[in-house]
Amino acid sequence: MTKREVHFTLNGRSVTYEVEPRTTLLRALRHHGVTSVKRGCEEGECGTCTVLLDGVPVKSCTVLALEVEGRSVLTAEGLVGKDGKLHPVQQAFVEEGGIQCGFCTPGMVLTTYALLKKNPDPSEDEIRLALAGNLCRCTGYTGIFRSVKRAAELLKDQA
Amino acid sequence: MEKKSMIGAWVTRVYDPEKAAGTLKFTDDLSFGSELLYARAARSTIPCGKIVNIDYSEALKVPGVVKVIVGKNFPIHFGIYLKDRTAMAVEKVRYIGEPVALVVAESEDAAEEGALKVRVEYEEETPVFDAAEAMKENAPLVHPDLGSYEHVSFVTPVPGTNIAQHFKIRRGDIEKGFEEADQVLEESFSCPQIAHAFLEPHACICLQDPVSQEVTIWSTAQSAFTLRELVAKGLELPLHKVRVIAPPIGGGFGGKAGITVEPLCLAAALDPDIKGRPVKLFVPREEVLTTSWVRQGWNTKVKMGVKKDGTISAMKVELVFDTGTSAEYGANPVRSAGYTSMGCYYVPNIWTDSYGVYTNKPFGGAYRGFGLPELMGGLEAVVDAIAYRIGMDPIEFRLKNLLKPGLPTCTGMPMPPHALDKIIKKVAEKIDYHREEPPVRKGWKRGKGIALAIKAPAMPADASSSATVEILGDGSVKVLAATMDMGQGAYTAYAQIVSEELGVPMERVKCYYPDTAAQPYDWQTVASRSLWSMGMAIKRACEDARSQLLALYAEYWQCNPEEITIEDGIVKCPKLGKAEPIDEKTQNGFKMPDGKYKGGPIIGRGHFVPPDVVYPDLETGQSEKSVVHFTVGAVGVDIEVDPGTGEIVVNKAVAGYDAGRVISPLNVKCQIEGGTVQGLSAGMFEGIYYDKNGKLLTPDFTDYKIATTMDVPWEIESFCEETPEDPSPYGNRGVGEHSMISPAAALGNALYKAIGIRIHQYPFTRERVYMAIKAAERGEKDFWG
Repeated sequence: MTKREVHFTLNGRSVTYEVEPRTTLLRALRHHGVTSVKRGCEEGECGTCTVLLDGVPVKSCTVLALEVEGRSVLTAEGLVGKDGKLHPVQQAFVEEGGIQCGFCTPGMVLTTYALLKKNPDPSEDEIRLALAGNLCRCTGYTGIFRSVKRAAELLKDQA
Repeated sequence: MEKKSMIGAWVTRVYDPEKAAGTLKFTDDLSFGSELLYARAARSTIPCGKIVNIDYSEALKVPGVVKVIVGKNFPIHFGIYLKDRTAMAVEKVRYIGEPVALVVAESEDAAEEGALKVRVEYEEETPVFDAAEAMKENAPLVHPDLGSYEHVSFVTPVPGTNIAQHFKIRRGDIEKGFEEADQVLEESFSCPQIAHAFLEPHACICLQDPVSQEVTIWSTAQSAFTLRELVAKGLELPLHKVRVIAPPIGGGFGGKAGITVEPLCLAAALDPDIKGRPVKLFVPREEVLTTSWVRQGWNTKVKMGVKKDGTISAMKVELVFDTGTSAEYGANPVRSAGYTSMGCYYVPNIWTDSYGVYTNKPFGGAYRGFGLPELMGGLEAVVDAIAYRIGMDPIEFRLKNLLKPGLPTCTGMPMPPHALDKIIKKVAEKIDYHREEPPVRKGWKRGKGIALAIKAPAMPADASSSATVEILGDGSVKVLAATMDMGQGAYTAYAQIVSEELGVPMERVKCYYPDTAAQPYDWQTVASRSLWSMGMAIKRACEDARSQLLALYAEYWQCNPEEITIEDGIVKCPKLGKAEPIDEKTQNGFKMPDGKYKGGPIIGRGHFVPPDVVYPDLETGQSEKSVVHFTVGAVGVDIEVDPGTGEIVVNKAVAGYDAGRVISPLNVKCQIEGGTVQGLSAGMFEGIYYDKNGKLLTPDFTDYKIATTMDVPWEIESFCEETPEDPSPYGNRGVGEHSMISPAAALGNALYKAIGIRIHQYPFTRERVYMAIKAAERGEKDFWG
């Protein structure tokens, strides 16, 4: 199949990928070594491939790579500072037991980041609702809820 | 000031920063260059029958397809306990979804397209889907050749039947026990197969060197060394010619133990036309259920006799596990449930039959809890029911019949020390068990329930571990301990042990993911054994390294080793007033007072094997030491049910276990939280279903529901008691699996309190609960639908 070019911003830098029209954003990113974006189901059900597309969490297995032309894509690697320091949201997951196997973590972190941008002080209900599309089999979500609350605190301290 | 111990210290977990950043590479994230080939299986469309012809000519026409391999090209039987499984169907298919051909191509897309073009002609035979039916005489045989399969000595198949495993307990006088009883109650409970639903699907890359014939396997494997052994045996290669590299795995729960999808990938990598090129098999989510194990379906029947005073006098237990088409690993949970079939109770007269039964369905194997959720899902309900029957409080009944330390288990082994009585009381107190409270939600029904948990590591008597601890030239430490840290946090606990024993900061200790070519042997990362068994090996390796280092310093400084300490990476001899950080001398050798160099890199070695386990007698199940130890605990839940929809909401869950000693509190807390939710999820939502022809109806997360953020209890409280284990590195014993054992049973008991009817079929889905409430309104006391 003929390949076409797609130009977009990945974690703050401009990139050009050559992709087949049928290639999903998930597969395109992974093919280029962006492996924080996990393939847990490729059916839009598990949330491990979550990226932020123009700041909004989407499942990259349900987006065609060509659809991101001119748009901005953020992945978990993109949250890490140039000095190697974790973003407060990532740090909160480390501190509060929000991580076990780590396979859902990049997606969880990005969804949390988007939630707290929109709503810096979410209630327990709002946290649960925001993360309902990201499955986790290890933590029972309990440590993740603690992490989101801790992330909110850390971000407030930082502001 | 006394030095703060690292054992029990609240520390964050190693590798979590990389996981949070997304930079940790899992198997599917590795690159292998343009020589990499991709494999995809074509699968059986019928549940049972002979393969007449496989036509893959159209598959070969797909651009990029290089080869199609069928079962008869690779007919080797693999398996850990009972070798009843081949990578692909050979002559006969046994379930819908069984691999019948493997398409190998230059791209994943081409392999997938090729797999869709394979056409198979079958001669259909009569399948059997229900384990009870399969046990009947004259049932069609799933494995007519069962008698010829190789198996370990402690597995007992019954050739000529569908019974792949039959484990027995015969203790006391069962008839006399029931005669002595004033009340006898018999109940049965059942549950369909359930899925591990780890978020990382299986992936595997295999490569065989065409010259040396050496095989390298990168796989999502819990157990690199057992995988190595099973592959080497199957391929008749020496162990050193099989190398297994196990990158971090995204959840296991038993589903990546032993040998799983690797033989399928090997079928391609070993092919003469392919050999020398790496082949990757990524198993898509919808195929995970049919390619890997599931938890066996089960039916647990318990007949219990009690005296007027509430003492249990006899118990008869029949466990029927639906093991699907293979009992390769599934034979062992059948044993595990069998030799623990007394539960947490002292039962003087007990008779147990635990069966693993073949059916024409995907196959059952290891799953967190390993036979015990299956036992306790029935037993703990019967305990509540019989307590109500004799008018006794269920907590009091449990305490009265508790398997106190020193009393014999069903195998005759004396129960080791524990604090279960204390745990039960605490759990009851924390959910306010004895207080009937009004529902929080208007019009809902509220109930509280409790269930006990028990489990021993289920493993061969001689499951061993070994580790090395190398002190590097700057005082940092390299630990080689081939446990798979799949999220349970083993490497964090290991770093704590090394820090404690060597006196180096924890941040300067590094554990590496398993590679059989680089690391010393460990049996498997299963059975909640690692921090106990590997913990022993690591502690011993530290003692060895430390004594080597101190002996060198003693000579170097001309003092006694006992006069030297290591704290925070600084070696000190207070008597001589000397202190220095560990430096390159530990690597390059010490220049001793006589002018000669001594030493060289310091590598401590440690190993461990349980010393005294005796396999239970095959006829009676009796053994003076049937298992290494037991971890016990209790779960309590406070729930509410919406009578209009059958929805269950868990207000609060409390879980307590006797961990012996908590080494890594954050990990223990998170294991309990995660296992509690996994157990509740199983209890409320999970079941694998098939249509009448055996076709899977639940191949994805839309139809196979697991708990989401919306389904989690509003509060989970966990705690541990610490009754020391011996032998054990610090008195600790495993807790990883235990948290999953009894949440579903506790839920069932709470549900009964809430709606006044006993549901005999898991899971307690909304529909089932709603129907049960309707039945209760008609005055019924049991619901079987």
